[in-house]
Amino acid sequence: MVQSNGGCASASPAAASSCEQSGKSAADLGLNLDDPSLSSDVVSKVTSHPCYSPEGHKYARIHLPVAPACNIQCNYCNRKFDCSNESRPGVVSKLLSPAKGVQRFVKVKERIPETNVVGIAGPGDPLANPAATLATLKAAAKQDSDVHLCVSTNGLALLELVPSLVKVGVSHLTITINCIDAAIGAKIYPWIYFNHKRLRGREASQVLIDRQLAGLKAAVAAGMLVKVNTVLIPGINDHHIEALAQELKLHGALLHNIMPLISDPAHGTYFGLTGQRQPTEDEVAEARAAAGSNMAQMSHCQQCRADAVGHLGQDIDLDADESVKPVQQEVAESYLVAVATKSDVLIDQHFGHAQSFALYQIYEDSIAPMGRRDVSQYCVDNECDETESRMASMLQALEGVSSVLCARIGMTPWQALEQAGVMPSTDYALFDIQQALSALQQQWLEQGKFSQQSRCKEAV
Amino acid sequence: MAYSITSACIGCNACKLVCPQKAIVSSATGYAIAEHRCNECVGHHADPQCASICPIETAIVDQDHRALNPPGSLTGLPNERQVIAMTKLAAKVSGGKGGAHATNG
Ligand code: SF4
Ligand code: SF4
Repeated sequence: MVQSNGGCASASPAAASSCEQSGKSAADLGLNLDDPSLSSDVVSKVTSHPCYSPEGHKYARIHLPVAPACNIQCNYCNRKFDCSNESRPGVVSKLLSPAKGVQRFVKVKERIPETNVVGIAGPGDPLANPAATLATLKAAAKQDSDVHLCVSTNGLALLELVPSLVKVGVSHLTITINCIDAAIGAKIYPWIYFNHKRLRGREASQVLIDRQLAGLKAAVAAGMLVKVNTVLIPGINDHHIEALAQELKLHGALLHNIMPLISDPAHGTYFGLTGQRQPTEDEVAEARAAAGSNMAQMSHCQQCRADAVGHLGQDIDLDADESVKPVQQEVAESYLVAVATKSDVLIDQHFGHAQSFALYQIYEDSIAPMGRRDVSQYCVDNECDETESRMASMLQALEGVSSVLCARIGMTPWQALEQAGVMPSTDYALFDIQQALSALQQQWLEQGKFSQQSRCKEAV
Repeated sequence: MAYSITSACIGCNACKLVCPQKAIVSSATGYAIAEHRCNECVGHHADPQCASICPIETAIVDQDHRALNPPGSLTGLPNERQVIAMTKLAAKVSGGKGGAHATNG
């Protein structure tokens, strides 16, 4: 997983708890907001973001785990190790589709209206999953035009994606850069996937470092606030922090976040299993001081998990909270049904060919047409014929829909729909729409899927 | 000529994003390579793309069930599975403290 605001290397709960006060004690190393060289735009972006400044704590953020794939391997991460310590930062156990991700944002926003930051940090590298990441951010911005969008990345795929990120409105970017020397990098990154090849050793690190710095420069030039995360690894990059900070400053990074390596062997990482030790608190303070002459230091980082929700330091467990759970087998007053139809009379269209869906709200005693929803309006750029992003657009077009009726549908979209909680059906292929909807209504009545009005109104 | 995906797969979706043949399918039961679509990337790239990005050793195998990324080739930890099994066991014995996590329904 990517080192997000903390990634795989990072924090046990114990390490995170030390952050509370350090915001003050290290204040002199932090960003000086009175610095005349900072524009007022930058100052407001910093102070309203919980991860960037201690003042930002009154705001809240949500990280949406929509990006599973990664394009590099770090020695402080084990991709398959998710079970023994689930609250390990940078690790999320449950993935969300872009549509579900946005749904989660909307629900959290209802409960915590101060949620003003939507971030994508993993569980892999967001930019190794560009379609899912961009679709999610775009949809979140559509829900709430004031939201800050942020992305955390290892930087390998950043350079080419800067324009797309700017286009969807990403204002805050975090790049994890652990070194600028390929010999050091070779001890941290066993391989990267770049340009259709798996590269290893120094060659891999050199490519990664070059791309990170080029991406950093481009992102700064494009007006993003760029924070750099560095995992402090004793004996590997600790002597190198000052040189690194100098380079970061040169390329225009705004903030530097030095995070202690977490190398608990129970996490199954290379460092953990080979006895690489974690830095002491003093070593972390020393590194921050060494970097501090060049880079403003961030010292209140809680090293969030990629699915963090809420105010820093008081994450909310969505699983424990009924109201945010996806509706399963629950009853409702009415259901939204989408129909793939060309003729507007018969259910006569293949799901994959539908450019729009006709919507109907089915109540216990009536069926109301709700107009049509276009799929294309949910497309990211022109990538809509890419299967992956087309499916994401479809899912967004079907937001809130409980069932889709179509003439035919492929296996893959069927499964994707099911996973997103939408029930596809070809049972009514080539039926008259009204007839099919009545039959469905009848079926649901028999299954007791409609609630008595009185029973569920407080669920809002 | 086709590769396949084993139960070692963690479902990170990376292979699916890079396969030039769109040969990789995923479902609730896991990831698989559609045999008739996979051409081992011949004509597209020098290396099979799925096996070049997959982070998990032994997750992708050839017809003879030889792992394209054999144990130790990606993590540098030859006995990683064993070591992990052991550390998990140790964590269990010492009493897992992260048990507060609700399993999802
Ligand atoms: S070898 Fe190539 S064509 Fe076959 S599944 Fe892997 S990426 Fe796709
Ligand atoms: S890249 Fe490997 S681990 Fe990831 S989904 Fe594909 S086969 Fe599974």
